[in-house]
Amino acid sequence: MSISALNSYLPKPCAPSRPCARPPRATPTKLFSQPPTLASLSDPHVLRLAETLEDSIASSSCPPPLQKLRDISSQSLLTTPWPSRKDEPFRFTDTSFIRNSEVHPVTLAPTQNLDALSGLADSISPNIAIIDGYLVESLSNLSELPDGVFVGRLSDLNSKGLMDKVSKYVSNFQGDLFWSLNGVGAPDVVLVYVPEGCKVEKPLHLRFVSMNRSYKGSKSLPISNPRVLVLVEKGGDIGIVEEYVGGDGDDRCYWTNSVMEVVLSDGAKVSHSYIQTQSLGAAHVKWTSVCQGSKSVYELTEVSTGGKLSRHNVHVKQEGPDTVTELSSFHLSIGDQLQDLHSKLVLDHPRGFSRQLHKVIVAHSLGQAVFDGNVQVNREAQQTDAGQLSRSLLLEPRATVNVKPNLQIIADDVKCSHGAAISDLEEDQLFYFQARGIDKSSARKALIFSFAAEVIEQFPDATLQKKVGNVIRTLLTPALPSR
Amino acid sequence: MATAFFSPTFTLRNSTSIPQSRRRSCLVRSSQASVAVETPSSSTTDLLLQVKDLSAVIAESKQPILKGVNLTVRHGEVHAVMGKNGSGKSTFAKVLAGHPDYEVTGGSVLYKGLDLLEMEPEERATAGLFMSFQSPVEIPGVSNIDFLNMAYNARRRKLGLPELGPIEFYGYVAPKLELVNMKIDFLNRNVNEGFSGGEKKRNEILQLAVLGAEFSILDEIDSGLDVDALQDVAKAVNGILTSKNSVLMITHYLRLLEFIKPTYIHVMENGRIVKTGDITIAKVLEKEGYKAIS
Ligand SMILES: Nc1ncnc2c1ncn2[C@@H]1O[C@H](COP(=O)(O)OP(=O)(O)OP(=O)(O)O)[C@@H](O)[C@H]1O
Ligand SMILES: [Mg+2]
Repeated sequence: MSISALNSYLPKPCAPSRPCARPPRATPTKLFSQPPTLASLSDPHVLRLAETLEDSIASSSCPPPLQKLRDISSQSLLTTPWPSRKDEPFRFTDTSFIRNSEVHPVTLAPTQNLDALSGLADSISPNIAIIDGYLVESLSNLSELPDGVFVGRLSDLNSKGLMDKVSKYVSNFQGDLFWSLNGVGAPDVVLVYVPEGCKVEKPLHLRFVSMNRSYKGSKSLPISNPRVLVLVEKGGDIGIVEEYVGGDGDDRCYWTNSVMEVVLSDGAKVSHSYIQTQSLGAAHVKWTSVCQGSKSVYELTEVSTGGKLSRHNVHVKQEGPDTVTELSSFHLSIGDQLQDLHSKLVLDHPRGFSRQLHKVIVAHSLGQAVFDGNVQVNREAQQTDAGQLSRSLLLEPRATVNVKPNLQIIADDVKCSHGAAISDLEEDQLFYFQARGIDKSSARKALIFSFAAEVIEQFPDATLQKKVGNVIRTLLTPALPSR
Repeated sequence: MATAFFSPTFTLRNSTSIPQSRRRSCLVRSSQASVAVETPSSSTTDLLLQVKDLSAVIAESKQPILKGVNLTVRHGEVHAVMGKNGSGKSTFAKVLAGHPDYEVTGGSVLYKGLDLLEMEPEERATAGLFMSFQSPVEIPGVSNIDFLNMAYNARRRKLGLPELGPIEFYGYVAPKLELVNMKIDFLNRNVNEGFSGGEKKRNEILQLAVLGAEFSILDEIDSGLDVDALQDVAKAVNGILTSKNSVLMITHYLRLLEFIKPTYIHVMENGRIVKTGDITIAKVLEKEGYKAIS
């Protein structure tokens, strides 16, 4: 029985006649009144969490696409259990830290002292600040955007035409539990719209800050659900810098459950930089879902160092031929933390070009890294050129990494390559330093950093390269062996 | 085989002169190479490098490569080592530089009066020994200028001089590029990454020019170079030659030796130096090949 068939047994979450009302809650009691097959698929814990999230969001009028998102999401939560290690996508990723916490949604009171945040104001423009999932205008600066570009809340959008377009894209895609929880809990959708042929010169900086944090060991876990939709019309071109920070306090606890959807029309280009340096007590779950029209170019460069549990799901779907997709990620695990990248690239059209580079350093005996990289080259995707490379560097004896590169190739006229290596530093490279008088420990330091630098160099913005480079250097310093 | 090196006999016999930590052959090798290398007649204070009966194996497989090498280099001399592919020339160079792939099993190396084999590779380098690699390794993620700056500062520290910051260092290094005819943007590229064969060789010489060296070992610095590049490289090498500094060149071709005139030419065969002479050896080799001298 399909999920949609199952859903047909459920009460419709939102009657069309009640615009924007909250969907009826799917309480356990209600569910147990359903056929037993259904009850067995529902997870009371998930339903309680969904209910808490629904309660937290303002029930005032909301735009139709957002309502649609909430409806679809709450519906899918009815049949989505909390993931266990028995589920393939979570085989190596233990989410019990979130499961066992008391999760409560953050509501940003307008009275909250945002002055304390003024230090966060970014001189780089254009930029927006998203605090605990809420866009805060006073900390944003959008003065340098070209005409026709819209960056703001979906609920502030006046254009009917654009609103219709957005509606079309809502939830064509189904993610996992976390995707749906975001759909239910997102207070709004931040829309980035680039009209046809428009080239946005300066990158748009999206800064996500987690202000509500609990102390380590308190069990309480404030959750925020930021959601962004990037819509780039034919031939449009924009750079996006998506940066997550946790404020100060290294081991504070919170849960950022974020989703970004990127839609590229034909010939569009998005250069996406994603930096995650949240606290080592945080949970960071992130979805990046990308749809690429023909001849479009999508480049993602990721550096993730934060979170006790950090999971990035990247999904790229090809909607037309001749696409270019470049994914580069560097993950760093310097403590008792898990860095997880689950990527899936689906190619259904001819002449796609894709390159993926995944690199990770685990520098702690309790550190862990997971990479599951799926590339599907389907029947129609002839003359695809797909490459994937994963390299892991383990610096401590019990550090672990679980790497699963998997290429599924059905088309026959393709060029595909992949490789995965778990290694220590190269002896020959170390010796090259030493042969020039540089001592072994400095050589190790330089080589460990250079391992990360290969990805950092992919950031299009030089200032960003420098900034992230310094972050990595600082994080690596105490972890570097004094050999 | 390997256990023999740790036999009690070894420990007893050598306990006074050789530290136990170092694995050396217990066999006392006679230096009876087919052609004896004459010991220098001048005073020993003139000595820069003295290699005696050096033998080495591949660390992993214990396969012997060097089988008793003897060589003496005095200050200001230019030596050339020739020999067939696989005869052990690069291994000899790398053993002198301290490469961890090899394990010394016998013999001694005195460099500036110090026991070279007891020194870490980086100590050898800061003591003025420079080896240019036959195939320099690529180091993605480390820029050429950062690498050179690190190496230069290591040398400065050793000499008790203040280190140079990036800006000062740039001022120092920029003119050196002209010496080897390299464009300035090579400084910002990653070490050897994507360099052509010839560019890698030039880069080795650039490092030599920046760091300086009392004893440079140049392993096939001429292979893969076009005529102009060969002249650039030769000019740069001649530039660092003084009455004190010495060079050991490994080469297959006479043409390099016409630019940098060697005092001695050695022929290596199966892990030993089997012949030593002057430039005529190279001329014979060029004409008639190795069969003419074996
Ligand atoms: N690290 C190593 N592992 C395995 N074999 C090695 C290693 N190093 C050297 N050898 C072997 O030792 C022998 C000598 O090699 P070496 O590189 O010293 O020769 P060469 O005289 O420099 O030759 P060429 O003129 O081709 O450069 C060769 O047979 C080579 O395969
Ligand atoms: Mg060689």
